[in-house]
Amino acid sequence: MKRIRKRRNGFALLAAAGIISAVSLGAACFFEAAFAFGAIAFGSFLLALRQTLLLRDATLIRDNRIISVSPPPGSIPVKKKNNDTEETVVSTFGVLIGSKIYRWGLSGVHGVRLNCACIDKERIYLTFGDAIRTIRLEVLHGMTQNQTVLDAAQKLWYETGISAGITGW
Amino acid sequence: MSGGIGINGFKFLTARRLSVIGFSFLFAFILSFPFEGQVLYSLLDLREIKPSGYILAAIIAHFTGLFTCGMFVRSKAAAKKTVLGGMGICLAAALPFFFAPSFLWMGGLIVVGYVSGCAVAAWGLFLRAFTPKNERIKTCADVLIFSNLLMIAINVVSMNRSPLLGLFLSVLCLVVGMVFIGMMPAGPKNIPDDTEVSKARAGIKYPLLMLCLFVFVITINSGLMYQVINPAFEHLTGLTSWYWAVPYIAALAIIRNLPMKAKRSQILYVGMAMIMGAFISFIVLGRSASDYLIVDTLMLAACGIFDLFWWSILGEMLDYTDNPVKPFGIGLSANVLGVLFGGALGMAVTSNNIPGAEVAVIALTVVCVTLIILPPLNRQLVLLLKNHSYLSAYDNMSQSQKTDIIFQVKTLDPLTAREQEVLQLILSGKSNRDIAGALFISESTVKTHARNIFSKYDVSSRAELISTLLKNQTGK
Repeated sequence: MKRIRKRRNGFALLAAAGIISAVSLGAACFFEAAFAFGAIAFGSFLLALRQTLLLRDATLIRDNRIISVSPPPGSIPVKKKNNDTEETVVSTFGVLIGSKIYRWGLSGVHGVRLNCACIDKERIYLTFGDAIRTIRLEVLHGMTQNQTVLDAAQKLWYETGISAGITGW
Repeated sequence: MSGGIGINGFKFLTARRLSVIGFSFLFAFILSFPFEGQVLYSLLDLREIKPSGYILAAIIAHFTGLFTCGMFVRSKAAAKKTVLGGMGICLAAALPFFFAPSFLWMGGLIVVGYVSGCAVAAWGLFLRAFTPKNERIKTCADVLIFSNLLMIAINVVSMNRSPLLGLFLSVLCLVVGMVFIGMMPAGPKNIPDDTEVSKARAGIKYPLLMLCLFVFVITINSGLMYQVINPAFEHLTGLTSWYWAVPYIAALAIIRNLPMKAKRSQILYVGMAMIMGAFISFIVLGRSASDYLIVDTLMLAACGIFDLFWWSILGEMLDYTDNPVKPFGIGLSANVLGVLFGGALGMAVTSNNIPGAEVAVIALTVVCVTLIILPPLNRQLVLLLKNHSYLSAYDNMSQSQKTDIIFQVKTLDPLTAREQEVLQLILSGKSNRDIAGALFISESTVKTHARNIFSKYDVSSRAELISTLLKNQTGK
C-alpha cells in the first residue's frame, strides 16, 4: 500500500509541476512547450487518479481482512524494510499481496465475484471472476491451528457467502 | 381535535376552522401589503417613491422571518404568542403608512416583513395539530382561497378607490385575524405530545432540501412572470385589479375537491402544460382584454396548481419532525427566495430594452428549462416521503417480521450474512456512519455493502431499496 501511495503522490506532484510549467510557458508564449507540459500534466493527473482508486480499494481490502499473513521476520532485506512489506491479506473484497491487488465483490452481481474457496494445510485457493474471465489464486495462509482455520472459514462465509472447503486438517 | 366540538359555545368554530380563518386574514394582509402587495405599490406610487428598494427589503425580511422562526418557536403556546404578537407588531408597524413618507416606512416594512414571516411559520404548528394528515391539502387550499379572495377585494379598493382605504382594509384583516387566532386553543404541552409524531429515525433534512429545491424551481417561474407578463397589461387596470387571482382561486377550488386518490403528479404535468401555454399565448396574442383573460387564466391557474401541490407536500412533511415550525418556515422561505430570484431574473430580462416578443421567448426558455427539472425532482421527493412512512412502519414491526421482509422480495443473488445485517440497519433508517459505528466497520465498507445490496435487489438508490422492500408491508 505504501508503494501505491508513493506512486500516487509522485504522479500528483508531476501533474502539479506540469500545470505550473504549462501555465508559465504559455504566459511566455512558448505554446508548443506549454502544450507538451499540459499533456504531461493531464497524463500524470489520470495516473494519479488511477493510483487513488487503487489505494481506496487496497484500504477497503485491508480494513476487511479475513486472513492476514505477515512476512516471516528476517525475510525482508534491510534496505527494503522501509518500503512496502509483502503482507498478504485475504479479505471480503479481494486479496492484497504487497501492492498487488485482486478485487471481487466491489461491483455488485455483474462484477468480479468470489466463486470458490478451498483451504488446505498450507494454502488457501481462491477462484474469482466475472462472466468473461476466471482467476485461480493460491495464497500461503500461515495458519497452524485447526480452530483458526475453522474461524477463518466461518468469517469468509459470513462476509462473502462462500463456504470454504477444508482439506487435509 | 378537528371534530365537532365547538369553541366558546360556537359549534361551527372548531379549532381547525379558527386557525384557517385567522390565518387567512393574516395571509390576506401579507399578500395585499408587505409581500409585493398592491396596497404597497399603490401607496408608493401615490407618493411617487421608487418601489424596488422597499419591495426588496420587505421580501428579504419576510424570508428571514420564515427561515429563523423554527429556531425559537417549539410549543403551541409559543406559536400562538408568536402569531398574535406578530400580528400586533404588524399592526403597529403599518400605521406610519397612513402618514407622510419617513424613515418609519422602510423600518416599518422591514419589521412587518420579519414578524409576518415568523407568524406564518408558526402557523405550521397549528396546521399539524388541528388538521389530520390526509386533510391538510384541503386546509391549505382553504387558506389560499380565502386569503386570495380577501386580497382581491383589497386590491380593487386600493386600485380603484384609494390606496389608504386599501391599507385600512389590510390592517382591518390583521385585527379580525387576531380575534380568531386569540380564540384558538393552545395548551402548554410541547409539540411531540400533541400529535402522533413519526418515530422514523431517518432525518428530514434531505427531503426538506429536496422540497426547497422543488419549491424554489417552481416559484422562479411565478417571479419571472410577474416581471415579464404583468407590465404588458398595465393599461387594463380595471380588469387586472379583480381578475388577476380569479383563475388561481378557481384552480385551488378544483384541486381541493378532487378525490383523494387522484394522482398529484399528473396534475403537476397539467400545470406545466398550462404555464407553457401561457407564455406561448403571450407571444402569439395581442394585449387586449380578451388576450389578458387567456394568458392570465393559463398562468395563474398553473400557479394555483403548483402552489397547492407544494403546500400539501409541506403539510405532509410536518409529521416527520418534532418541530413543524422549522420545515414549514424553511419550505415557505424557499418560495420567497424563488419569487425573489425569478423577479430579479425578470427584471434583468426586461430592463435591457429588448423587444417584447424576444423578452417573452427568453422567459419561455427559462420556464421550459426549470420545468424540465420538476418531474425528476418530484419523483425523488415522493420517494423520500414514502420512505419516511415506510420506515416508521418498519420501526413498529416485531424482530421476526423485520427479518422476514428481506427474504420476501426476490434478489438476483442471495445476500450474505453481513449484507443482511447492513440491510436491517438501512431499513431502520440509519445512516452509513451510524451503520459503520454499530458494526465496527469503516464507512466505505458500508457503502460497498450497500452498493452490492442495491445490485442484488436491482435498484439504484437507498430510497428505491426502502420503497421496494417496504411498500407491501405498510399497506400503502
